[in-house]
Amino acid sequence: MELDIKDLHVATVDGKEIVKGVNLKVKSGEFHVIMGPNGSGKTTLAKAIMGHPGFKITKGNIFVDGKSITSLTPDKRAKLGLFLQFQNPVEIEGVGFVNFLRAARESITDNTVDIKQFMGEVRSYTEKLAITNGIVGRTLNHGFSGGEKKKGEILQMAVLRPAISILDEPDSGLDIDAIKVVASNVNDIMKDHGMGAIVITHYSRILSYMKPQRVHVMHDGKIVAEGGKELILKLEKDGYESVIKDKE
Amino acid sequence: MAEDLKAILEQQNSEYRDMYGFSDDIDYDFKTDKGLSEKIVREISKIKKEPEWMTEKRLAGYRVFTSKPLPKWGPDLSGIDFNDVYYYLKPSDKPKADAWDKVPEEIKRTFDKLGIPEAERKFFAGAEIQYDSEVVYGKVRKDLEKQGVIFTDMDNAIKKYPEMVKKYFGTVIPPTDNKFAALNTAVFSGGSFIYVPKGVKVALPLQAYFRINAEKAGQFERTLIIADEGADVTYIEGCLPAEELVSKGDSFQMIGSIKKGDKVATHTGKIQKVNKKFVHKHNGIMFEIVPQSKGNGFRLTGEHPVLCIKRNRVLTKRKQRINWNPEVSTKALLEQNPEFVKAENLEEGDFIVYVAPTSIEDDPTFGPIELKILGLYLAEGSITSNKALGGIRNIAFSFGKSKKEEALANEVNSLIHKKGWKSTTCRTKGGYYVVSSYAKDLIELCETNCGKGAKTKLLSQKLMMLPPLKQKLLIDYYWKGDGNIYLRYGKKLMRASTASKFLSYQIQEIMARNGVFANLNVRPGSEDVILGRKIVRSDQYIIEYTDERKMGEVRRKNNCFYVPIKQIKKHQFNDFVYNFGVDKDESYLVKGFAVHNCTAPIYMSSSLHAAVVELVAHKDAHIRYVTIQNWSKNVYNLVTQRAFVYRDACVEWIDGNIGSRINMKYPSTYLKEEGAKGEILSVAVAGDGQIQDSGGKVYHLAPNTSSKIISKSISKGTGVASYRGLLYVGKEAANAKSTVRCDALLLDEKSKTNTYPYMQVYREDANITHEASVGKIGEEQLFYLMSRGMSEEDAIATIVLGFIDSFAKTLPLEYSLELKRLIKLDTSNSVG
Repeated sequence: MELDIKDLHVATVDGKEIVKGVNLKVKSGEFHVIMGPNGSGKTTLAKAIMGHPGFKITKGNIFVDGKSITSLTPDKRAKLGLFLQFQNPVEIEGVGFVNFLRAARESITDNTVDIKQFMGEVRSYTEKLAITNGIVGRTLNHGFSGGEKKKGEILQMAVLRPAISILDEPDSGLDIDAIKVVASNVNDIMKDHGMGAIVITHYSRILSYMKPQRVHVMHDGKIVAEGGKELILKLEKDGYESVIKDKE
Repeated sequence: MAEDLKAILEQQNSEYRDMYGFSDDIDYDFKTDKGLSEKIVREISKIKKEPEWMTEKRLAGYRVFTSKPLPKWGPDLSGIDFNDVYYYLKPSDKPKADAWDKVPEEIKRTFDKLGIPEAERKFFAGAEIQYDSEVVYGKVRKDLEKQGVIFTDMDNAIKKYPEMVKKYFGTVIPPTDNKFAALNTAVFSGGSFIYVPKGVKVALPLQAYFRINAEKAGQFERTLIIADEGADVTYIEGCLPAEELVSKGDSFQMIGSIKKGDKVATHTGKIQKVNKKFVHKHNGIMFEIVPQSKGNGFRLTGEHPVLCIKRNRVLTKRKQRINWNPEVSTKALLEQNPEFVKAENLEEGDFIVYVAPTSIEDDPTFGPIELKILGLYLAEGSITSNKALGGIRNIAFSFGKSKKEEALANEVNSLIHKKGWKSTTCRTKGGYYVVSSYAKDLIELCETNCGKGAKTKLLSQKLMMLPPLKQKLLIDYYWKGDGNIYLRYGKKLMRASTASKFLSYQIQEIMARNGVFANLNVRPGSEDVILGRKIVRSDQYIIEYTDERKMGEVRRKNNCFYVPIKQIKKHQFNDFVYNFGVDKDESYLVKGFAVHNCTAPIYMSSSLHAAVVELVAHKDAHIRYVTIQNWSKNVYNLVTQRAFVYRDACVEWIDGNIGSRINMKYPSTYLKEEGAKGEILSVAVAGDGQIQDSGGKVYHLAPNTSSKIISKSISKGTGVASYRGLLYVGKEAANAKSTVRCDALLLDEKSKTNTYPYMQVYREDANITHEASVGKIGEEQLFYLMSRGMSEEDAIATIVLGFIDSFAKTLPLEYSLELKRLIKLDTSNSVG
């Protein structure tokens, strides 16, 4: 699968432009990183790609394998193979996590799930993700700790097997051990299923456990710098200011 | 039948009637006149052979009813016309049925829908069913009976346990309580009477089902449950649960499968797109219109307009002949323009309009040879695959023994050869002629255009769109194979029969496109034992037509045929019905006949359900009362439920309200002695046009009593869900504890919710918490679920089900599943 974002402009429903012309091309198996200071439009970009109703595309287009997806509802986009790991997943009262996961898998694959096999799969991922409290029997993100929420998102990603995944701050609020676990699980899913990834983050720490191929720096709704892994080192040393200034 | 029943009743000395059968056709043994008077109240009591004291109670109730005004608070009830209600209906024709297996099929189906046999066999301890006013099914497990548990209907209880009934009846809810409790006292019929003796714990729930069967009928059941010291019982009351979306084996299955965007033929004969599909539950009369061609009979609701010419407009001026029905003038008939008339206004003899679709799409791949082969295949062909030969497929045309059949066999053989395919003709030992071939192209031609087995033969869309003359050729060859010629009344009648229902309609349609109206009849299948072997004959669809004279009174005008109605039957119906919006013409064909898109309001007349439920929980007893109410949306559900709870006893009300037009129900609990406990847990779903006014009342009347009220409501569209609750803590109720929590969920911008929490607290030491919340389905929640691949509809349903999950968990599994299914259905966008 190829995700091709062309000159994308995104505004809130009341007209405030947040993303101001982004170009980005990502294929399955590729590993991209978007970094940038708070408020640069990273999360809005991620939500717009997934089809959040609170944002409008005012210019430009998003293509999947050459076809525009901007008129598709989020569920259709998910079915094409896109996945968004939420920075702050919402809590939904009374909805069992595993039941939800099964329903999601069934709607994405249009196939019924063999419960026994599925439960086995879920269990093996909870072990890998070191989700100690157990997720079975709990309601969706309800009463989850920050770390559990993030791990729960990665678990969903593992089970739903997207072709390209957007991970919006998979590291925020996690301790070092948890960051390592999340990173190695994302690496494994990419390796095992050839998933492509766009990781959005402020900090380089999680990236030291991963092998990003391409780094994009976003500022004020635009991508202001691009490069390989070396760009991360530069940012770490000199901060965002340096890159942004370079551009200006 | 009635005699049989009496005989059986007399034979049985058991306290409980075993199972009785029921009739789905409404022949009521007895039906009071509409409206209410002292005379009718007396009449009801007399029919039930009640003792004088009960008659007096009824009359007292009636007097209160007439003197009390409608409640001045809450939803508007002025739409109830008390004079337009049948207050008592007694179903007649109860065939004997001493075991479930012997209950007639028709009735079983109704109850299968209610999930009775399964529930009864597998899980529940007993069940009663109230069918309109009478309880017609009751059973309690033998072991409970031995322990002295009484579970019977109220009418029976008055006869068998008069002392107990006298002692408790109307003590918890006196007729003076409210207008509807008074009405119930005056006219009640059926309902359950339960007595659980000291210390007996009934492990499995006792349950009852109630239905309102007739339109404009009232249902006034009276339930009284007494749990003696230390007793424990759960009672479940289901109002119309578990129904299949599509009724089987009739046209509704076909209609049910039509989707938005599909193309259908309209009354003009043109093909138009379906732009909307409505599904709603219809509980009431269903009209079955049986035209001259009986196989075309179809069913619809009374509101549904049908294209029609009224007979009385087209009569001859000639004097009516003796013993003849008024005759119709063909000239007048053909001059009259058909109009859409509501099904309930149709009369036998009126003409309805069979429309032959006019759209044509020629396909040159079908030449005379192909059409002839297909016609004969339709009549005589079959495709089989030979396992021994690795699944190789073979097509065979089987003919009879006669010369004529031999000629046909030779003809098909030569047709196949003309196409360059191979085939052979042979004669079986019995002398039958069989043409068989392995030619793949031939097999594919036949299979894709005509189907495979006898029951599933079906013409392809392509064939159905061919020009009429081409189709005629196909049908001519079909008649050659399957047709017979009969002579009747000097008329030459062509006749063929097939096991494929759909094929018979298709042939009829093709004949109509060729200007000939064919009659369709159904010969029902049967089972037989011949020489010890079980033979099953499937339904046969018989197609008849004549070229020579007109088929009965049927007359043709262009592509329309005016067909007289032979019979109009009325059925009780409680299931889903379908309706479509269709581009341009706003009409569609049901079994060939034109009907309009039904624009009338779904329910015109309303039904009234005014039950009274009295519970008495003596010292240390526990009663759990569960109601899942899914009345159809024309029912006023005005139920009074109240419990007296004595020392250290506990009563739980669990109340699910999904159906009805206006629902007013506030289960109440009187904590009368020290340590008494009460819980009220309710869920209400207010869909479009519904008002759910529910909640609960608790009176703390003694020290150390505690209570909990939890209410959850969901409103959608124009639906209004309101919580109305009362918490009373009297001076004598030291250390009362109470928690009240009400949560409301709004599904869209239009929907509304109200909260009216009343509190009267006369104690300083009372410990009371009250929480209320109103939530909207959040954009973020929807986006989250949809980003995981769920459709918007599924996402909404998921959120709603999550919202009521804590409630659903208190129900037995089957009810919990049923509630979830109902709510899912109610919140989904596709339900109109």
